[in-house]
Amino acid sequence: MNNNNVLVVGAGIAGIEASLVLAQAGKSVHLVEREMCIGGNVIKYEDVFSNLECATCMIAPKQQELLANENITLLTLSEVTRVEGSKGDFTVSIKQKARYVSMEACIGCNACFDPCPVSLKNEFEENLCERKAIYTPCPGALPNVPRIDTDACLRFKGEDCNLCKEACMFEAIEYDQKDEDITLNVGEIILATGFRPLDPSKIPHYGYGNEDVYSAFEFERMYASNGPTQGNLVLKDGKTPSSAAVIFGVGVDDYRCPSSICTMYSLKYIYYLRHKLPEIKIAEFYREICVPCKSCGDFLRKMQETGSEFIRVEDIKVTDKKGSKEIVYKIEGGDEKTFTADMVIVASPMRPGNDAEKIAGIFGIPQLSDGFFAKQKDDISSVISGKDGIYIIGCAGGPKNIGESITEAQAAAGRILSLSYQTSGQ
Amino acid sequence: MKRIGVFICECGPNIAEKIDIDSIVKEVSSISGVEIAERYKLLCSKDGKEYLKEKIKENKLTHLVLGACSPKQHEKTFIKVCEEAGMNPYLCNLINIREQCAWMTPDREEATAKALRCIRAGIARVKYQQSLEKKYLESNVDILVIGGGITGLQTSLLLASDARKVYLVEKNPDLGGMVSSFKSLFEGGNVKSVVKEKMEKVLENKNIEVFTNSEVKDVLGFFGNFIAKIEKDNKITEVKTGAVVVATGCSLFDPGQIAKYKYGKLDDIYTSLEIEVMNMGGRIVLKNGREPQSVAIVHCVGREEKGYCSKICCSYSAKFHDYLREKNKDVEIHNLYYDLCTSQFERGRKDISVTRISDIEEITEESGKKHIEYLTGDGKKESVSVDMVILLPVIEPGKNVPELAAMLRIPLDARGFFAEEHVKLNPVATSLEGIYIAGCVQGPKNILESITQSEAVAGKILCSLIPGKKLEPEVMVSRIAPSLCTGCQTCLSVCSYGAIVFDRENGICVTNEMLCRGCGNCASACPSNAITHKHFTSRQIYQELTEVLYPSRSMKEQK
Repeated sequence: MNNNNVLVVGAGIAGIEASLVLAQAGKSVHLVEREMCIGGNVIKYEDVFSNLECATCMIAPKQQELLANENITLLTLSEVTRVEGSKGDFTVSIKQKARYVSMEACIGCNACFDPCPVSLKNEFEENLCERKAIYTPCPGALPNVPRIDTDACLRFKGEDCNLCKEACMFEAIEYDQKDEDITLNVGEIILATGFRPLDPSKIPHYGYGNEDVYSAFEFERMYASNGPTQGNLVLKDGKTPSSAAVIFGVGVDDYRCPSSICTMYSLKYIYYLRHKLPEIKIAEFYREICVPCKSCGDFLRKMQETGSEFIRVEDIKVTDKKGSKEIVYKIEGGDEKTFTADMVIVASPMRPGNDAEKIAGIFGIPQLSDGFFAKQKDDISSVISGKDGIYIIGCAGGPKNIGESITEAQAAAGRILSLSYQTSGQ
Repeated sequence: MKRIGVFICECGPNIAEKIDIDSIVKEVSSISGVEIAERYKLLCSKDGKEYLKEKIKENKLTHLVLGACSPKQHEKTFIKVCEEAGMNPYLCNLINIREQCAWMTPDREEATAKALRCIRAGIARVKYQQSLEKKYLESNVDILVIGGGITGLQTSLLLASDARKVYLVEKNPDLGGMVSSFKSLFEGGNVKSVVKEKMEKVLENKNIEVFTNSEVKDVLGFFGNFIAKIEKDNKITEVKTGAVVVATGCSLFDPGQIAKYKYGKLDDIYTSLEIEVMNMGGRIVLKNGREPQSVAIVHCVGREEKGYCSKICCSYSAKFHDYLREKNKDVEIHNLYYDLCTSQFERGRKDISVTRISDIEEITEESGKKHIEYLTGDGKKESVSVDMVILLPVIEPGKNVPELAAMLRIPLDARGFFAEEHVKLNPVATSLEGIYIAGCVQGPKNILESITQSEAVAGKILCSLIPGKKLEPEVMVSRIAPSLCTGCQTCLSVCSYGAIVFDRENGICVTNEMLCRGCGNCASACPSNAITHKHFTSRQIYQELTEVLYPSRSMKEQK
């Protein structure tokens, strides 16, 4: 039996690319995304290393193409709950949460946001700003259709509020939408469930939790022009920092530290800081500099020429000293020194997504000891999982940069398409 | 006779509340050529699309100007409407008065004035737009793969089927490439299944034609229609293919270029590849035939000189520990490195001793041993004496790469590797459609990454070259007027897609419409104004801009 349906789980850059390639070849693709919008972690970034290209400009055309593609069925707010069967004949159960806003009728004008009386922390913005109970995570999010957060919405708590519905000119608000159970039959499955950065509070010596010590994503959002500060780098008290420290790769040997990715994105933070605050004093603390791509070395040199200090350290400890951060560090040879900064950015390694274990269980695939999904061992390939018919792409299988994730997406598509040609042709 | 229809979308309150649509409709109604101007509540809705189709038919409209949202949002929607109504979609102009006027300009009067200018400009432009027709092209789906190493083998196996033939060209007598000299792989898997079995499968596959001892001498044509000349024993075979995959691998930097390493000058100083070959032969021994009791592995050889890190050397150096200890478990191994590009050393390899250095000062011979003087990470002078030195040179582009690039008309990057079309978004494609790169030709890579690239190339090819399906080349391409071209070839230098060639016989440049992707670089660079970019002609742009910048002038002209 030649099953033309493919399930792709996760609509980050890898999942999007895999879907587009398969759809172009005529496959019928079902793309399942847990969140309300597509783009994954990449849409959180303003610029990407090493060419400092604008991330949105890069991914938006792919997102648009995906939304317009007739061979791709996108299921947002959806999670796979059960998988049965085997290669060529998987039966997949999906739970899709109601959005309470019609995807067809809504034109994305956002007129419903203002009247909503509920404000709460915006998780997408790393809780650095607020959103309403009816919301999109950030300007530019796609599909540009809000959802109602029923945990926060007054109406869903039993109160008599329909302010969003009144504000909508297009009758797009549908309070009576219901969660749906969907069953699909697919031939192959691609898992592209991505990563999350390690919670920096797991590295106590980085001092995360003190004011003005920022995680990587907090800093990305602060720098983003569509983020909570519209791209202004400011301290909690509203002042502009005059000094900043970036720390990566120190004392994180227990993690499969994606040394190259941590190095590269930490270097990008020098650019972020220097670009917005040309006079700021910057110190970059690191253990090893790993810049293993043909253009990465040039990026390193460029950043070294910005007048920022690069300090190789064996150990580091960040503490709060009356508002400013005191960084005590040990250099090679053992001398201890101190650096004081207004702002500290801690670049932590990539970790598997929060639900990796659950997902591995649902799909029946093995994990590595660090939680990333394992690849099969016999025939060397970076996209074939331990279970026939299931493929793993992007950061779900280990730390990767965008180019590598895209390559794996095309690779999984290549594997699937090659198979269907070889079985149908012979 | 041009019959222009102008329709302004209210977009609910989005445009209607911010812009005085009625006054715009009134203003543009009187412009010559405008047959009908109306407002509508939501053009992108189902009703709106039907309304547009009816209006087009009813009024026999030839041209359309829509004042609505961003083309990013609904250009495709309206292209479809035009096609369904029997109108050429290239005669439709979608003017963004929502994002660029209604949402940007708070003052209603100013927003209206701005929207009016934009729509007038759209009308002025649409009059000069030309209907363009889609082209369809038969394509050949067979594939030429250059390079029979692990990457080329994997690519061939994934692509070959009864519907698609693969021609695999290898310059050496045997397939397998560099990896066939490795005894084990740090990436996992074993050499037997990774290389040997693939070689056998390739040789058995009736849909793969293997040319060993052969070279590709020329590749002509374009995506879907390449002709390649393969030379074997002074005989040329011509094959027709739809795409070309370059998988010719890499070389290692020659450490002899840096005097201090004494490579080739002193005995018992080897490169990593020499160690692999020696190990494959069963023994890693000194010149005198004895096994080394102490070895220094010097990392990053040529990194400073070449300007980039090869990323795989740290990982494979760990494998060398196994090679050496398998033969002599007491061998003493020192790693001298600059930066570790792996966490492998920290991960479960407590048996590996590493010394961070900032420079190798000198390697000399002292009583049969190599004496390495180096500066440690914190600048102290230290030294070590060993029987054998293993240098880990950086990976560099193969020697034939510049020649190959010229033949294929694809660019190299600053480091001399093949340049990808886009580092992140299209890493295995090149600027010339239909020519793909996989493995170390594109940059240093481990085996796993090379295989991933070969799989990605298969994905790119299998989704675009489909048996029985015609190709649809870009419609908005450039065209060079032979009578105006002076043959200066400025356009050649700005074309990234190899779409322009110089016709020596006539002394002029010619665009290959099959390769052109419509970027417009050539049209703006041409000093003789000989190049027209279809759908972006000078006249169209001039009319549009004049109307935006000097509305009064054109209004006067009209009166």
